[in-house]
Amino acid sequence: MTQVLATLVLPLVLLGGIALAAVLDRAVPALVAGRSLKASFVGPITVASSWAVAQTGGTEHPDKVNWILAPILYFTLAAIGLSVVPFAPGVVAADLDSGIVLWGACESLTVVAVFLHGWSANSPLPLIGAYRYVAIGLPAMLLSMFVLIAAALPAQSLAVTDIVEAQRSVWNIVRQPAGFVLFLMLGLSLSLRGPFDYADPYDLVGGTTAEISGTARLTWWLARLAMLVSVSAMTATVFLGGYLGPVLPGFVWLVLKTSLVLVVLVCAGEVFARLPPDRMMNLIWLALLPLSFLMLVAVGVELLLWG
Amino acid sequence: MAIALLRRLAGAAPVPVFAAIGTGMRAAADDLFLDRRLTRANSIRHARILLVAGPVREADQDDIHRLHDQMLHPRATLWWKANAGPDFAEPTTWDEDDPVAALEAIHRALIDGTRDSEPDTLPNEPPNPWRGKGDYGQGGEGMMGGTPYGRPMAMTDDDLRDGLALDAYTAPFGPFLPMLPPGLKLSVTLQGDVIQTAELLRPPFPQAKSADGTVHALRALARFLPILGLDAHAVRCLDAARFLSAGTPIELTKIRQLLRWSGALAAIPPGIGVIEGADVRIRVERWLAALDESQPGTFEDSATTSPLKSARLVDLLRGREWSEAILIANSFDTETMIALAPVEAEDAEADDRDIEDENRMDHEGHGAGHPPEAHAHGAPGA
Repeated sequence: MTQVLATLVLPLVLLGGIALAAVLDRAVPALVAGRSLKASFVGPITVASSWAVAQTGGTEHPDKVNWILAPILYFTLAAIGLSVVPFAPGVVAADLDSGIVLWGACESLTVVAVFLHGWSANSPLPLIGAYRYVAIGLPAMLLSMFVLIAAALPAQSLAVTDIVEAQRSVWNIVRQPAGFVLFLMLGLSLSLRGPFDYADPYDLVGGTTAEISGTARLTWWLARLAMLVSVSAMTATVFLGGYLGPVLPGFVWLVLKTSLVLVVLVCAGEVFARLPPDRMMNLIWLALLPLSFLMLVAVGVELLLWG
Repeated sequence: MAIALLRRLAGAAPVPVFAAIGTGMRAAADDLFLDRRLTRANSIRHARILLVAGPVREADQDDIHRLHDQMLHPRATLWWKANAGPDFAEPTTWDEDDPVAALEAIHRALIDGTRDSEPDTLPNEPPNPWRGKGDYGQGGEGMMGGTPYGRPMAMTDDDLRDGLALDAYTAPFGPFLPMLPPGLKLSVTLQGDVIQTAELLRPPFPQAKSADGTVHALRALARFLPILGLDAHAVRCLDAARFLSAGTPIELTKIRQLLRWSGALAAIPPGIGVIEGADVRIRVERWLAALDESQPGTFEDSATTSPLKSARLVDLLRGREWSEAILIANSFDTETMIALAPVEAEDAEADDRDIEDENRMDHEGHGAGHPPEAHAHGAPGA
């Protein structure tokens, strides 16, 4: 019964999150640019309508099937990823013993979805965006695996519900603050955002989106926002205690924490500069990956000695 | 009912405009997009209106045509202080300073169907007939290379960086690619995203330079920052430049602070685009120094200090990864860029024409006719 409830709530959470993210995507840049927030609420609706009525074009000999499937796959991965997040005690759409592994699979397949999107256009700049994303996305996913295992260690379980329950004494953000920051970086990478937007950047005139328009652009935009919501909910669950909190119902706590992470991710996406890909590759492989591994070791040692 | 509502909402959206900028109109075009009623489309695929701002060269008309034909329906073109191409029947022109109202009117008319979408200006056919060769008649050797139907195919070649033989791909980029100076057209051979060779096809258009060093620095930053993903910072810089140009004093501390926090300087790789001992990072530092009111007179642009006789843009780009190359190309002002991309004597021009002819044969399909493979990249035109 609770599983059915969670399955019904999931699309609502996704939809509400997408709406919030769409507004924030206009409000935060307006704040940084020192402009009024007036158009932040209506803007997403009018722009989405504009895309909806525009013609969807095509290039010469694109990989049509994959071009259509890529945003659908991306969106679906966001929804599946969200399905392992418990909305309240016992209320989870996919209550798996290995929920964190399913999330990891969604992360990895995101690389495939984004790559296909760039590949299918049969055009050089989208293809460069696709390859770049794989180059940066792969080590970013590797890094997240270390972070997630470190988060799962105290719970001694790969079930997301157990990871939340293990945070009743102390949230994982306290246990591994650097892991939290690394996971936020992964969130930026999964949702193709700001400093980690290597697939659709300006220097490639929009990268994998350079050749799309109309509804194709609309679906890609929705999929990106959906992934942002999903990764925000996961971050809130794994590091901020998920539905745990006093007075208010668990679901409200989760929504509040997810919204907070979403705001942080949107702000980070606007405020920080993006490194050229080569420089970012060096940073991830030489600094961030070893750091995430050291953190995993540190959590292991802590649990062995005091756990 | 639902469609009518969608159309009404779409009509209220900012007008997606792709700007093909000509001589002397770069600053005006940049300022134009500060208006919230417009949104700048970086790819022609995202635009509903092609805005040709300022005069362009005769040779660029072909690129305008290809850009135009890659735009999806319903579409229109506005010639703003520009010479309309002969193949555009009944072109809409605008010679006043502010074209926003005209753009809005065209957009509304396109959405509600009172204005017809413009037809293609080029024939929908390959740039040249089938000239296949190779085992399967597909092009070069094996399954790769060559230019079947004028479409370039990637071909294995040695790589500059690590010697790995990857697929080299040659294509023209510009003259209206938004992240390159307007008018600059290059023929670039890429392996992955590393530039193996770059050849100058056409130099950038001359642009007016602000006499005020601070305004100049703000405008330069506004063009540079989006490459680092700092679009909102760029808008802030451009807003400030506009206020200062109008004689309204404005506080620049906040901009400097935001840029410091963004890590923009640290993001720029050291040692790229070195000219006269200054690399891209140093040039950006100079712009930032120009925003510091407490240190008047510190601004110094490389163009004003050196004739740059020996340096060439194409040499600076060789071996650079695409992002780095774009950073380099945007770290100079237009005068310096023109000095770095010299139109040489007749011999060079003849070579230039040869290269163009070759590329036309290779790539005209890019727009020859249809959006098709119209690589958004140089969306050839782009």
